[in-house]
Amino acid sequence: MEAYLLNLVILISIYSILGVTLNFIMGYAGIYSLAHAVFFGVGAYAGTFMAMHVNASIFVTLPVAMAVGALLSLILALPALRVRGEYFVAASLGLQVLAVTIFSEWKSVTGGIGGLIGIPPLDIVGYEVFKPSQFIFVTVGALIIILFVINRLVHSSFGRSLRAIRDSESAAAAFGKNVPLIKTISVVISSAFTAVAGVLYASYFSFINVESFMLDTSVLIMAMVIIGGTGTQAGPIVGAALLLVLPSLISYLDFLPQTEIGSIQQIIYGLGMALLMIYRPGGIVGRKKQSETGKE
Amino acid sequence: MLALQLTITGLQTGALYALTAVGFSLIFGSTRIFHFAHGATFIIAAYLFYYMNISGYGLIPGALVATAGAIIFGLLLNRFVYVPIQRDEGSFFTVFVASFGIGIVVQNVVGMIFGRGYVTVQTPLSFSVELMEGLYVAPLAWISMLCAAVFFGILWCFLKYSQMGKALRALSDNPELVRVFGLNPRFISACAFTIGSILVVPAAIISGATSGLNPAMGHHVMLISLAATIVGGIGSVTGTLLAGLALGLAESLALLYVDSQWTEAVTFAILFLFIIIRPSGLLGRSTAH
Amino acid sequence: MGASAADTQDVLMELRNVDKAFGGVKAVDDVSMDLRAGIITTLVGPNGAGKTTLFNVITGELAKDSGSIKWLGNPINRIKPYQAARAGILRTFQDLRLFNEMSVEDNILTAIEDNSVPVPLTRVQRTARREKVDYVLNRTGLLSKRKIRAKDLAYAERKFLSMARVMATDARLWLLDEPASGLDPNSYEKFLEILREEVRQGVTVCIIEHNLDIVIGISDRIAFLDRGKLLADGEPQTVLNDPELRAIYFGERT
Repeated sequence: MEAYLLNLVILISIYSILGVTLNFIMGYAGIYSLAHAVFFGVGAYAGTFMAMHVNASIFVTLPVAMAVGALLSLILALPALRVRGEYFVAASLGLQVLAVTIFSEWKSVTGGIGGLIGIPPLDIVGYEVFKPSQFIFVTVGALIIILFVINRLVHSSFGRSLRAIRDSESAAAAFGKNVPLIKTISVVISSAFTAVAGVLYASYFSFINVESFMLDTSVLIMAMVIIGGTGTQAGPIVGAALLLVLPSLISYLDFLPQTEIGSIQQIIYGLGMALLMIYRPGGIVGRKKQSETGKE
Repeated sequence: MLALQLTITGLQTGALYALTAVGFSLIFGSTRIFHFAHGATFIIAAYLFYYMNISGYGLIPGALVATAGAIIFGLLLNRFVYVPIQRDEGSFFTVFVASFGIGIVVQNVVGMIFGRGYVTVQTPLSFSVELMEGLYVAPLAWISMLCAAVFFGILWCFLKYSQMGKALRALSDNPELVRVFGLNPRFISACAFTIGSILVVPAAIISGATSGLNPAMGHHVMLISLAATIVGGIGSVTGTLLAGLALGLAESLALLYVDSQWTEAVTFAILFLFIIIRPSGLLGRSTAH
Repeated sequence: MGASAADTQDVLMELRNVDKAFGGVKAVDDVSMDLRAGIITTLVGPNGAGKTTLFNVITGELAKDSGSIKWLGNPINRIKPYQAARAGILRTFQDLRLFNEMSVEDNILTAIEDNSVPVPLTRVQRTARREKVDYVLNRTGLLSKRKIRAKDLAYAERKFLSMARVMATDARLWLLDEPASGLDPNSYEKFLEILREEVRQGVTVCIIEHNLDIVIGISDRIAFLDRGKLLADGEPQTVLNDPELRAIYFGERT
């Protein structure tokens, strides 16, 4: 039971990082990306590559993964600067599909469909962290740091600019906001932090393959953010916890076919998304219609 | 000879892409509903036909059931999901998420019933015939193209001559026109969903016999439909039709240069180029944002 | 036209032979005019005369086809909207384009912050901003609404918020697109008073306005546009008394 809980909390914190970073571009900048798992994967592969071939120290793996994630995110930023809404959804969907092909085909780095095994544990100043009871501090710590940084950003003038762009791009520009630059910075920041989740995920399982970074994962992350509450601070974390606890809840219900837990989980959150949009578009944590936004 | 072979395959694929994409484009153009569950309509029609097929029913009953299923699904979704959302402000995003959620549900329900692997509709029509040396074409290729031609012919007449068709076309040109027509907007959107869903059916049925079916292929269908709609120009049925054909051809001809796992990448590359260089598409209105 | 008060002011912005066509239709047709410092220039003309298009061209929202625009003596022919704002040219929109999901206060803060890169503010900067916001909210009567979301405001309040966003900045030139349309008499008295006060303090205004009472009440100079062409540009009395222009304005075109 203790092992189960440790594992659950570690997973929730990793997925919360993914949710928080997606929420940053989706809820505040209005960039609805279906390609978030791509940068999760980029971080995992980049961090693993460094850990296996260069050095497993987190002072090597994390910065490199973040840098690679940030750099590649420019591919996502490019269409996001040109178009929004339905066009961008299509572009990110395409990017996700393309990335899966590359992850499966670039065998020398990603190990192809079979993936990579024997990924070294996290090395923090010479101390190897692999026991879940220790690893949990790393993932929760990382989540707290990322949450803190993003929270500060959102409540700064930069966050205001982001929300202004989401509400009216032309008005934001008319008040001196360099819209392309601001959008690019937000995508870069989001992707760099997403890569951190990838590094943690890879070293926790010491095994990765393309299946963790496919469209299903992007959809799952998006569902977490939406169900929790888009544009809220606690929403993505609540959403992550809820959707990750769901499979075990389902397994307690004996009358459901246990071999189909994955499908039932997806059906539940699919339905959840649709129903929330009809009855409560702000998500579980989201505000109701009349209250105010922004505290600063 | 390989090029000719790939051109014919490409036209076959393109014809099916065009049918599916035009269905989506028509709905999106005239109602502004980002019907992401269009891929789910495809899955439902395809698997209903597959089910009728393995249960021993013939082509016609199968096609009728598939069509009925597609229409009912489209109309129910419109009535019980999109209409309530649009009643209070319903942004692009809320509609998209709800539609997306329904797509996930359909994919998994179908997966639980029929399994998540590939299934194929067995028919002698998919056996290739050697037309000339090195050129193999299955009768289904000609059927696909014929189907597309017939359906587009009927659609064209409908859009050009019927009152409802004219209304749909006008709405695609200018979404603000809803009130100008004496027609009930609810009825117009129901019509758009009916026609859009019907257009998916031939593509769904034929895909079952050619490439095979899989519950997760709804996303692929959506990527193609979105790509064709955007490349063709949002609101332009003709543009979407041409773009669908072109995407099919491009995917197929790309095999001259790359392995088959990269074909989706070709679609994506074309879409990406258009979004960056010409977001209004081939025949779209110039206002893209 | 003679050397009147309005003619002797410094030229802030200079437009020469500016053209902008949509398809075959010339929305702005060979317009040359000067915007002079410290006065209110009113753009009048029938609907579709190209007034808003002219604003869009000036701020770089639309690229002009030909012609040149100078701001403080320097050419700004390929300026982008955000650069125009930073150079001191601000505009409002006919459809307001408030930041709807954000509070009144955040709308104004957004307007005065010009940093694109996330850098924290100093305490002094924060205080200065807060004072500015308070002043503007007070002037526009929105003080009690500061925490309300923009989209939850009443119509007139939304119009005033649109003005407040501009007032909070240090911009030298305001391009106002029908800021008073639809206001009740009380509100537009208040609006005019604010506008006059701001101009006294050194702001230059170019305003699009249809209501003739307002036009007469505030204009130091009137520019008359019709079908993209600048038909007149001068003293309010001269322009408004021209029978031909009156005919166009009141729709008695022959």
